[in-house]
Amino acid sequence: MRSYGLSEIRAINGKYSMFHAMTEEEPSEGRFHFSAKDNLTSKGMETCSGSRILEGYRPAFDATSIERMKAAGGELIGKTNMDEFGFGTFSTNSGLEVPRNPFDLERACGGSSGGSACAAAVFEDHVSLGVSTGGSICCPASFCGVYGIAPTYGRVSRYGLIDYGNSLDKIGVLSSKATDLRKYIGVMAGKDERDPTSCAQPELGDSHVKLGSVAVPMEGVEGLSKDVEAAFRSALVELERMGVDVEYVNMPSLKYAMPAYYVLATSEASTNLARYVGMRYGQQEGDLSLKFDDYFTSFRSEYFGDEAKRRILLGTFTRMVGFRDRYYAKALQVRKVVIDDYKRVLADHDAVLAPTMPFTAPRFDDISKMSALDSYKADYLTIPANIAGTPHMSVPCGYDSDGMPIGMQFVADHWNEEVLFSIAEDWEREFELRRPEVVA
Amino acid sequence: MKIGLEIHVQLPTRSKMFCSCPTTDAEAPNTHVCPTCLGMPGSRPVLNRKVLEYGIMLAKMLGCRVADTTWFSRKTYFYPDMSKSVQITQYDNPVGEGGVYYLNGKKPIRITRIHIEEDPGKTKRVGDQSSLVDYNRSGIPLAEIVTEPDIATPAEAREFLGQLIADIRHVIDLPGDGERSIRCDCNISVGKERCEVKNVTGLKNVERALTFEMVRQTKILKAGGKIERETRRFDEERGVTISVRKKEFEADYGYIDEPDLGVYHIRELADSIRIKESPLKMTLRLSDQYGIDQKMSKQLVTTSVGLAEMFETVARDVDVPNAIKWVAGPISANWRSLESRGADTETLVGIIRRFASGEITDTECGMEIKCHMTGEDRDSVQGASEGLDTLINQYLDENPAVVTDYQKNEKAANKVIGFVMKNSGGQYSSAEVVEATKRLIESRI
Repeated sequence: MRSYGLSEIRAINGKYSMFHAMTEEEPSEGRFHFSAKDNLTSKGMETCSGSRILEGYRPAFDATSIERMKAAGGELIGKTNMDEFGFGTFSTNSGLEVPRNPFDLERACGGSSGGSACAAAVFEDHVSLGVSTGGSICCPASFCGVYGIAPTYGRVSRYGLIDYGNSLDKIGVLSSKATDLRKYIGVMAGKDERDPTSCAQPELGDSHVKLGSVAVPMEGVEGLSKDVEAAFRSALVELERMGVDVEYVNMPSLKYAMPAYYVLATSEASTNLARYVGMRYGQQEGDLSLKFDDYFTSFRSEYFGDEAKRRILLGTFTRMVGFRDRYYAKALQVRKVVIDDYKRVLADHDAVLAPTMPFTAPRFDDISKMSALDSYKADYLTIPANIAGTPHMSVPCGYDSDGMPIGMQFVADHWNEEVLFSIAEDWEREFELRRPEVVA
Repeated sequence: MKIGLEIHVQLPTRSKMFCSCPTTDAEAPNTHVCPTCLGMPGSRPVLNRKVLEYGIMLAKMLGCRVADTTWFSRKTYFYPDMSKSVQITQYDNPVGEGGVYYLNGKKPIRITRIHIEEDPGKTKRVGDQSSLVDYNRSGIPLAEIVTEPDIATPAEAREFLGQLIADIRHVIDLPGDGERSIRCDCNISVGKERCEVKNVTGLKNVERALTFEMVRQTKILKAGGKIERETRRFDEERGVTISVRKKEFEADYGYIDEPDLGVYHIRELADSIRIKESPLKMTLRLSDQYGIDQKMSKQLVTTSVGLAEMFETVARDVDVPNAIKWVAGPISANWRSLESRGADTETLVGIIRRFASGEITDTECGMEIKCHMTGEDRDSVQGASEGLDTLINQYLDENPAVVTDYQKNEKAANKVIGFVMKNSGGQYSSAEVVEATKRLIESRI
């Protein structure tokens, strides 16, 4: 097992910026190293969720996921950089540091668990915890060429997760080793009284399931870049060679998932972010001569980033009287329709399969030219499984002409993670994963 | 005039609504707190099931329909003592809807709904420039009862609240002390438009605030003015209401479902919950069932539900006349000392049974009851009661008109009672004096 010393971790981070806070002590021998997205609370280690508004917040408690990783012999070496509160596709919407793609430092890692994907790709024998609300594990896993899984909603306790959209948030795993997915979801899964939504889960299956058939939705192969499309086609050929039936299907509800997602996620987010008023924890450098309303308004104007403000405005609008039924209530109905669509297709197939992202990791200068809507649209392939709460996983499946990784995403039925574990393990034996050249 | 109330009742759980912090009064500010009730990032609510049970009990007491499923919502507003800037409350599908409460057992006051929610912390002003916040109260469970505008006058509002609170205290064993007070939002309209007076504490203040509003609105209307829909607050010291915000500035709380808690299926729980009879209902039933005056049944129930239960035991095991003679008489007069000594009631039933069977005399029976209840020995009880009787008889001998007056109006006995209280130097409890006076006057009729 490759172990890294403190100075080595710092030097590597200096190049890639995958971590915001890092361990301050020399990691102890014999424990496996892991990192966790910076929206998971770590006792005594600064936790900012990518926001300046939380700078200085040292939680009094470990998130259940981190607590269980530590109990299983893990050493937390760093908290990974991310889009502020998870609001983004490239980890560039951050009030703190922006992680750089291990295959090209001028490109993004994807988001919002960008630092986690970066750490998983760069460090050997390393597992990183990510969080997915609308695709925040699969997107960066795809851009950084690693395996990434978001389990069923409610599988891993959200106690200690700094909320984005509570009905959507899922804690998962990113690693360059397929076998880590089964291992560490296994460590973190299970009921936790501190998160009631984790208490309805059936036991996690641990058998090896041979993949029989996948459904490829026609809606999932539209609008792809040429390299992504080519890599995906050859992956399908490879799967067929492995004995998997590939069938194209229609899933008309998928195109409604995105608008419904942005309504639900921002509605919940705008209430979650209401608590940040510059009192009690985190950043508190506001103008104390002001009255409370003026104080928190100026404080939030100063310390929230643009994307956080945009989502607060969107989410507040959609839950106001007169709009609530038109947007929020309607989005709840759409979620049911998407779930039904998955159930229908998964009754006949083991998994639904499509590329993870329509393109490979973009350059930072190209990202700066994109509108908010352009980047929202980039998530159209990852959002449906997230709004449905179904487990999903990105698996590396090729590289483009610049050598940038390409991923494909499998979606299984609720609570059926073992199908995904098995697919990753079988695929790993057939696919030659490239590791980035790491120079600190 | 129409008056409707929103009544907040603190529920007597041992721990808070969403965390395990205690609900008892704390010695210092911000000591009964944890990451959850402080709203720390990453913390999460876990429902205290007892809160749901209390909510259902109150819903049943008020004759509400109890929903099959219930859930919580987030109400967003910014205030320093609201730690998450989000209050977890109920919006759609509260625990109970559509009930009715009978004021004095007669007039129906419709209950719109009852829901459960968490209390915020407390803000305390220090000087002109700053405030301090105490989160000990943050997350304490509350029930909010909303009435239809069926109340006719400020006095009726006070009467209604008094009866309702007595019933609530009885049904959910609410202690009547300290911090656990009742807070009320009062809606009142003299004409068409209504005003809401927020957060009034205590029965008396509810009546005062409503009376002030009634007069204020009436004056405006008489002068040809228009009432503006607004939220006001009550200044207890000056006894006036003050405008806080106009209707166009009414907050839109942007309710959404609370995603961390999910949906609760409460049908079975609701069916399994039996509620205790409320004092008012018991008063009416006793009067009906045993053919006694409502004044007497009310006196029994308000003295103690235990006393009323004792009355029922004697009425059942011996007979109604003996229950009236002894339970409503000397037993009622000495009930407090029996309670404070923790003496048993079975002995009393035995004594009365011996009287009814002719084993002991009237005087002996009264004596034994008193000895048992007060723990004093026979001689001192006899001496004291003889002394009291002598004092009363002396007065009645000198003022025979009292007996004839008493037949017209029972208040005539007050003269005697006043005389005895004054001339006995606090030797006897007022209940004892009342009992002996009535007994001796009635023996002369």
